[in-house]
Amino acid sequence: MKNRLKIERAILDITQEELAKIIGVSRQTINSIEKNRYVPSTELALKLSKVFDKTVNDFFELDDKDKK
Amino acid sequence: MNIKSLVDCEKSKWEKIQLPNTYKKIGIGLAVFSFVLLFINASTINNIEYREIIKYGILVGLLITSISKEKIEDELITKLRMQAYSFAFIVGVIYTLVLPFIDFFVDLIIKADEASIKDMGDWNVLWILLSVQVLYFEKLKRTHK
Repeated sequence: MKNRLKIERAILDITQEELAKIIGVSRQTINSIEKNRYVPSTELALKLSKVFDKTVNDFFELDDKDKK
Repeated sequence: MNIKSLVDCEKSKWEKIQLPNTYKKIGIGLAVFSFVLLFINASTINNIEYREIIKYGILVGLLITSISKEKIEDELITKLRMQAYSFAFIVGVIYTLVLPFIDFFVDLIIKADEASIKDMGDWNVLWILLSVQVLYFEKLKRTHK
């Protein structure tokens, strides 16, 4: 799973810490998602979608490995 | 009961078992203090009854540490915690299966006439389960920093 979380966060000009506070998780969780080490739950993805005001598909994408 | 309420119910059950974050330090303190006492007891009076009580102290300390919440207990932490429990369970089973045989072969080399396969004590199994869970959980948290 690939994501554009870092880019979306840069567009909003907020830090990992600030984004983490908004959606009620730790900074480590945001960092892990950005580095593709952790795939968030649907609930968390929808919270992010609300913050970025975009659909989940706009910033999460299946990579070739997942499509098989 | 629909699936969402079932998931929420299970989640809240687990949260009810968990202790606040402040208990983590108490748990670590109790386990370390009990360890020190165990060594002091072994090197001085070597009282068997004291030793058993101190061993309970280690287990209680590790259990408190294991079920204490993190400062921010989010879904990543819950996932890492569950991974650590699974890993500790597998290590615990392997340890329980393998160690009696290692003990037996060591005994066979050192004192062949007294060698026999001994049963693992409850304390040994619980101690390995809890200590592996606590340590592996800390290691997993560090990889996600």
